[in-house]
Amino acid sequence: MNWKPNPFAIFGLAMMSTPIIAQAKIYISIEQAQKILFPNQSLTKAPIIITDELQEKMRLASSIRHPFRGDRIWTTSAGGWLIIDEVIGKHEMITYAVALSPNGSVLGIEILEYVESYGYEVAELDWRKQFVGKTAKDPIKLNQDIQNIGGATLSCKHITDGVKRVAVLYDLALKTK
Amino acid sequence: MKIRCKPLLGTYVEISIDQDDSDQHFDDAFAAIKQVQNLMSFHDPISELNVINQTVHLEPVAIHPWTAEVLKIAQDIYEESDGLFNCGIGHRLVAAGLLPCHMDLSMYQMSGIEDIRFIDPQIIISSKPLCLDLGGIAKGFAVDKAVESLISRGIESACVNAGGDLRVFGPIPMSIQIRHPSRPTQLIDIGSLQNGAIATSSLYFSKRDQLQSHIINPLARDESEVHLHFSNSFSIVANECVYADALTKVLALSGEMDHPCLNHFGAKAIRLAA
Repeated sequence: MNWKPNPFAIFGLAMMSTPIIAQAKIYISIEQAQKILFPNQSLTKAPIIITDELQEKMRLASSIRHPFRGDRIWTTSAGGWLIIDEVIGKHEMITYAVALSPNGSVLGIEILEYVESYGYEVAELDWRKQFVGKTAKDPIKLNQDIQNIGGATLSCKHITDGVKRVAVLYDLALKTK
Repeated sequence: MKIRCKPLLGTYVEISIDQDDSDQHFDDAFAAIKQVQNLMSFHDPISELNVINQTVHLEPVAIHPWTAEVLKIAQDIYEESDGLFNCGIGHRLVAAGLLPCHMDLSMYQMSGIEDIRFIDPQIIISSKPLCLDLGGIAKGFAVDKAVESLISRGIESACVNAGGDLRVFGPIPMSIQIRHPSRPTQLIDIGSLQNGAIATSSLYFSKRDQLQSHIINPLARDESEVHLHFSNSFSIVANECVYADALTKVLALSGEMDHPCLNHFGAKAIRLAA
């Protein structure tokens, strides 16, 4: 272990320098998520129309209000599913991919983007736009040097809720396809 | 540099590897973390941990070598901290609504990690009922197992970060930022770390989400002393993440930057004032 403390931080003076604002990260693209979750399989886009009734059932099961988008669904020739979804919490916005087997069990979950901030900013469309269309090769971070962020444990409860609504989507809309 | 992130251990686990053709190595490292989760999760009713909690006072329980390793380390830190670190506080977190309830806890006087006895390297028994929560220490251990997996596959440099508990290895020191305790979206550059781990205890997310403090004083004499309240942030730098995480509790509970237990494990303390 080789630890070189920043003397300013230790004396509580680090805040005298410009604060670094936590964090906005793009981990992988949709294409990379497809390769990671369904390696060597070809995926076909399989969008579905989300009726108000389905939207409501997904909301009840997951307590996520933000509407689900039905245009980011793919299927494999073997009958598996890949779904991209977002969860928007008060303090963060997370895009994630869920891979489902033909019988609906979760094969894997990958986080695509993690943007941490506060609700009023996330809700602003203009603020969001700066993250749209970026790829993992083009990692936007509010500070380019940010890599290793320590601190109290961040809960992933929102993703757990998100996966619940994907499970409802499978049961009500994908299973019968 | 490639980075991937998965929801595991109740948090976001991020692995960054300084090498390109590494998908299989990522998968193996995440699989090691998943295995720690399957063994030691309190939330999963069929984890090995929950089997231990439900039956260890009734009959000997055969456990996985990784669970045995974590319990041994937990007992070791219990001894060295004079009981300040004790993961036999699961019932307190259940009572506070911070962990799910899998059994009726009300009829028992719960004991702690000190009553676990190893009959054999992988068989344990307890004379009294207990409710272990390995939450923090298992998170640190999972980070270590992921790092071991990456090293064994020839990766030269990487960082594994389980929602704030992190370990780095490789030839280049990496700069580490931690969250400001009263403004957690702001980061403070606290120094550079090479081949080491850092973990942090603080209550800013608990307060933000209006939850009771999850830092439990195992030596509490009455109810009012059970949940520790503080506004600072306490971090520990150590060789391995399992020690870094566990020792943050010793630091937060004792408030002593030079507690002999930290020295014993070769750890360094960092306190950030709110």
